[in-house]
Amino acid sequence: MAQVLLEGLKFRYQRSVIHNLDPRVKLLLTAMLFAFSLIGSNFYQEAITFCLIAIPAVLARVLRRLMKLMVFAIPFSLFIILLNIWGGGTILHSFVIAIRFIEIVSSTSLFFVTTSPDELEYVLRWFRFPRDFVFAFATSIRFVPVMMIDLNQIIDAQKSRGLEIEKGGPIKRIRNLVPVLVPLIVTALVRSGELAEAMEARGYGAVKKPTSLFNLKLQSNDLMALSIIIPGFIALILLYLVMI
Amino acid sequence: MAAIEFSSVSYRMPNGVLALDNIDMTIKEGELVAIVGGNGAGKTTLLKHLNGLLKPSRGEVRIFGKSTKDSSVAQLSREVGLVFQNSDHQLFSESVKAEIAFGLRNFGFSESEIESRIEEVVNYYGLAEMLDRAPMTLSGGEKKRLCIATVMAWEPKILALDEPTVGQDYLNKLRLRDVVKSLLRKGRTVLIVSHDLEFLWPFKPRTIVMGMGKILADAPADQIYLDSELLEKSGLRQPQLAMLANALGRDRPFSDADEAANWVKGLFVRRYDE
Repeated sequence: MAQVLLEGLKFRYQRSVIHNLDPRVKLLLTAMLFAFSLIGSNFYQEAITFCLIAIPAVLARVLRRLMKLMVFAIPFSLFIILLNIWGGGTILHSFVIAIRFIEIVSSTSLFFVTTSPDELEYVLRWFRFPRDFVFAFATSIRFVPVMMIDLNQIIDAQKSRGLEIEKGGPIKRIRNLVPVLVPLIVTALVRSGELAEAMEARGYGAVKKPTSLFNLKLQSNDLMALSIIIPGFIALILLYLVMI
Repeated sequence: MAAIEFSSVSYRMPNGVLALDNIDMTIKEGELVAIVGGNGAGKTTLLKHLNGLLKPSRGEVRIFGKSTKDSSVAQLSREVGLVFQNSDHQLFSESVKAEIAFGLRNFGFSESEIESRIEEVVNYYGLAEMLDRAPMTLSGGEKKRLCIATVMAWEPKILALDEPTVGQDYLNKLRLRDVVKSLLRKGRTVLIVSHDLEFLWPFKPRTIVMGMGKILADAPADQIYLDSELLEKSGLRQPQLAMLANALGRDRPFSDADEAANWVKGLFVRRYDE
């Protein structure tokens, strides 16, 4: 389960029109898709937003991965539907809220699967977030796949010692996670300590404002993308207002 | 009966990479087999097929005649003990005693039997003095011995060690050698996956060389270790005694330094006599 979720958020190096965009443009695109997911108040508007998410996903060749994530989000959506109906909402409105949830998950995922941890770091730095925060955030994202590998190896090691993780009632299942979580947390802590030492040994924190090897600069393809994205979204907002 | 049989086993990973490609091999009961090869050769993937952590995409793996497809990992682990490369991925309990008891409880041993088995393995693996210590606080060598002890406590008939010498100093390697020797004396089947040919050499084991998911060679160590070309192709380095034998034009590697010294001395004596 966690594997599907992480796979849906994991960045993979590949070349595509979307991958090659400046990370700020990708962030703007994601933010707009996210906003449209929230603005949409009826089935048709949500359907339009759904198509809007699918277009960059197809261009980035990540649609299949996003679909997997959407399938993962379906049980949560069903829960949202039930909760909303229980709270007195109509079936159609509950359904719209559930679709909105899937769209929020997909649009967020679209940014993460097409943006490398390095690019993420550049964007945060561009927003003038504190350097330590940016480093900690980007590093934690970068280490997700590594922790995933650790998790799989730990599960294999404990299964080999006769642990049946999926066996027993809910309490037993939670208890079964202890032999997996303890080594995972210990390994992560040891690794973070080692990383901190290695970074200090390489001069991290030696100067207050370090120079940067790479600075974000909009290229012609970014400007072209912005010239499509911004007017397109303004037009859609107007359309939504008309639809209301 | 064969302990382990691989019949035309192929395994394709979820990302599409063919990690094992048509593997055929049979390992007899009580045999020691070294599986060697470079990174990404498929050694660990092969090991994970032994207790059903991975099931073949094609072909069949049989443990004592029974297909791994018909059994759970827990059932197979009773017969096949797997010790992973990274000890820290395995250890989690508050004490060495609890760590050893974990596997025994999973396999349904009675409390009295658990106590007696713990006593037996801690004495055997030199861990008796650290019974109440937290496993995380042990040294690398002690952790490795504990990992083997936790598995050997339920006495699996087959023991598979994945890179047992990584991060171990010379003394710990010697201790590991003793552990392997004692297991063989007990009639256990032992598989060692390793890059460390120097460690394996004194056993002169049947050696399987793997590369790109295939078996490149399966022969006695004497034969494999003299084939510098094959080893180099597999990202491995010849043991020094084999390298010396090659350099001196000998048809089989030296067993140890004494044999090499005597052989060289013999050459001088012959020259002198001539």
